Amino acid sequence: MYTFMSLKVGVADVDIIDASLADKVLQAPGFFSNTPVVVDLSPLDGDEEAADKLDPAALVACIRRHKLVPIVAATHDKTSPLAQTIELPLIESSARRISGAAKSESTPAKADGAAAETPASAEPLVTEREVEYIARKPLIIDRPVRSGQQIYARDTDLIIIGQVGAGAEVVADNNIHVYGPLRGKALCGVSGDTNTNIFCQSLEAELVSVAGIYRQLETIPEELRGKAAKVYLEDERLNIGPL
Amino acid sequence: MTKTIVVTSGKGGVGKTTTSASIATGLARRGFKTVVIDFDVGLRNLDLIMGCERRVVYDLVNLVNQESSLHQTLIKDKRLENLYILPASQTRDKDALTIEGIARVMHKLKKAEFDYIICDSPAGIEKGAKMALYFADEAIVTTNPEVSSVRDSDRILGILQSESKRSKMNEDPVKEHLLITRYNPARVKDGQMLSVDDIVDLLAIPLLGIIPESPSVLESSNAGKPVILDDESEAGQAYSDAIDRLLGEAKPHRFMEVQKKGILKRIFG
Repeated sequence: MYTFMSLKVGVADVDIIDASLADKVLQAPGFFSNTPVVVDLSPLDGDEEAADKLDPAALVACIRRHKLVPIVAATHDKTSPLAQTIELPLIESSARRISGAAKSESTPAKADGAAAETPASAEPLVTEREVEYIARKPLIIDRPVRSGQQIYARDTDLIIIGQVGAGAEVVADNNIHVYGPLRGKALCGVSGDTNTNIFCQSLEAELVSVAGIYRQLETIPEELRGKAAKVYLEDERLNIGPL
Repeated sequence: MTKTIVVTSGKGGVGKTTTSASIATGLARRGFKTVVIDFDVGLRNLDLIMGCERRVVYDLVNLVNQESSLHQTLIKDKRLENLYILPASQTRDKDALTIEGIARVMHKLKKAEFDYIICDSPAGIEKGAKMALYFADEAIVTTNPEVSSVRDSDRILGILQSESKRSKMNEDPVKEHLLITRYNPARVKDGQMLSVDDIVDLLAIPLLGIIPESPSVLESSNAGKPVILDDESEAGQAYSDAIDRLLGEAKPHRFMEVQKKGILKRIFG
């Protein structure tokens, strides 16, 4: 079994999707680059009006433009015109079916039964990923991370014994510990965990980020540069303190 | 046991070919059967530095394509008994090289009982550079004392760790050596150049040698004679020291301080 990132398409306007993708990718450009994604069309199931408006080719092009790799489209309704025209293999969506039926009930069901299957239950829209914490071994890297290299610790801590060179990127879903100078970029909590930290022996980073909130070197206080430091979030503000 | 050493840097113009020529010559002078391969297909230079440009008949691409034999392609150095040059092709480009083809060449060289294969890498991180480093057991990373060169060296060290045969086969990692070239202690003192300590701190690999900036390097290149053969010059001596360290001898580093000119030197230059 493999885990993929999924992109839930809840609006028909590709420009809005484009803007929100741009925003998301900016939080961790290296992390998202060339990442396979499942294009989940299930939020649009039953909403024929929106589904008609959405240009599947433009959607796929938009996703590719952000260096993401769309691999499959997920839907509950493989026979819908949208599902039929999108140039991706189809799979059954794992998201819970949502109520788009109120609307579709008023419009007569098409002969091919495109919207007829949609159940009329009023379950809430599932958008937030359910995060489950499982104690996983940290990823330990016992050599320097060089310029151009990228290390990602999925669902765990990243521990680096050695330096992180300028132009290198270290990314983790949990905490990042660097036993050496941190000169490149460090992004912790990239899947949204605001309770994660970056710890390093010498803070010289180009950029530090916790759960998508970032700061660049210029904004790091002079007195903390080159010192042992921790980077953490407090009231949605990125703080840097001595260690 | 044949040892394959790549001379690489990422950045161009830092002294890879000069270093390849001197390291190969230095090893041959110590009695090791050595071949130096120019991987810079399309921009052949090593033959000029080695002074054998008029003797090139077949080249690396011919050998890779099995159009010539090893014996036909290798150029025997005129000065040293144990030294051979394998020139690049000037009329082709890097796409003419394949890993399988290079693997065959490496196998033939091992069968011919070479002690050292020195691979002179082209600049960049593209195909040519990756081919040059793929079979390396050791790497000499040539770096100038300036930030862009150091950053590029860091990048190439990362590629060595991920794209060499040793890394792909999960063998012991490629042994890395730092060689600082064009070092000018006076300019370091003025703050115009990075110091040895700065570079070692940034790259975190063991220091093989420091080659001082010296007019004899250019003179030797123009004369087609590797600078290591110029025993009078500081650069030649520094390369000689580097050979000692490469062979496992501990030697203190020289040419790191500003040389005080004696009274006679001051008068006569």
